Amino acid sequence: MLNFNDLWIWFSDTETWEGRYGLWNLLAEHVSLTFVALFAAGIIAIPLGLVIGHFRKGETYVVAISSVSRAVPTMGLLFAMVLFLGVESRNLAVYIALGAIAFPPLLAGTYSGLIAIPNSTVDVARAQGMNELQIIWLVEIPLAVASILGGLRLAFVQVASTVTLAPLVGLGGLGFGIVQGLALRDFAQISGTALAVVLFTVLGDRLFAVAQKQRAFQV
Amino acid sequence: MEWFFRNIEFIQGLAITHLSISLLSLLAGTFIALLIAPALSPRSSEIIAGLLNGIYAIPSLALFVALPAIIGTSYIGPTNVFIALTVYVAATMFPSVRDALGQVPPAVLVISSAQGLSKWQTLFHVKFPLAIPGIVAGLRVASASTISMASIGAVVGVKNLGFLFLDGFQRKIPEEIVTGILTIFIIALLFDISLWLLGAIFTPWRRKKALHA
Repeated sequence: MLNFNDLWIWFSDTETWEGRYGLWNLLAEHVSLTFVALFAAGIIAIPLGLVIGHFRKGETYVVAISSVSRAVPTMGLLFAMVLFLGVESRNLAVYIALGAIAFPPLLAGTYSGLIAIPNSTVDVARAQGMNELQIIWLVEIPLAVASILGGLRLAFVQVASTVTLAPLVGLGGLGFGIVQGLALRDFAQISGTALAVVLFTVLGDRLFAVAQKQRAFQV
Repeated sequence: MEWFFRNIEFIQGLAITHLSISLLSLLAGTFIALLIAPALSPRSSEIIAGLLNGIYAIPSLALFVALPAIIGTSYIGPTNVFIALTVYVAATMFPSVRDALGQVPPAVLVISSAQGLSKWQTLFHVKFPLAIPGIVAGLRVASASTISMASIGAVVGVKNLGFLFLDGFQRKIPEEIVTGILTIFIIALLFDISLWLLGAIFTPWRRKKALHA
């Protein structure tokens, strides 16, 4: 079993925190990999979900994409992308793989937020003279925010988990401490980094959950 | 394709490890969920659901390597992966078992007790059968993500299909990685179809209703 004294010594060492492979730098890489991928997937998936949800066309694709994607191993997707695009463009490859992982939950969250809105609500908006764009922007998006945030939350958890594997394809992020620790059999480094990874993801998940709850409308 | 046929025996071995670790975790996790969900009072069930809700957010690699520090298992090997996957399955299955049992109409329970069924008889002969569709829906989600997640176990030395990703990347064999993705995908698909079939077999009254409608 791990000696907690060792863990304490590891955490109080300044070398743990500073430098190229220090926790601060790895955390910054972890955050930027996660959120750039979420952003890239979001600017495509959210508008697409809005269009599909508003016009009720192509719904079968949403269901198909979200059920098929669950069975695709995210680790394989990450490794395949980097190998196919070449190690030189591995940044782009990792973003594409992470974006693909974030895409289905974002699409499904947006779409299901829109179809949960009663038809009568949309009809009333139309009767008041709103055009389709106004209906989407002023009625449907505000009512679907909680569901979109729910999709974002799921996407965040999946992307942040997969980012932990980024050091295996030569990138940074907090997973580096785990991979290096496993190679060096440095158990304090492994457990300490694992703790940091868990804190980051669980905290992010909680924040999205709070935001989701705050924006939940009672229709 | 050529790579696949040249290494078919090797892939078979990896697939068997992958299958067995996924199946065992699914069984153990579902068993735990089935055991605790009906036993808890609504209030304690709320508390457990809140705790379990955070678990799925823990990245699997972090959980695999954090377990040795918590329970004293070895850092490398299948034990941590099995325990971690079981925890994920239990965390996914607990709310779906609870909701499926809770969705049994109160009138049905009144009738069941009026017919003289005991609490246990009601649970086994009325509540569980009526909860099967909900439980199967939860199982289908849990099985797909478990089979996909098990591959990360290769990082901590479990020789399952995830090994094809690590090895294929190091040796720059794209076919090896694609083989891994496809094999895992097909296994997940087969699990999904079998679960759907099992659900249909054990709820014959739903088929009859569909025929008459």
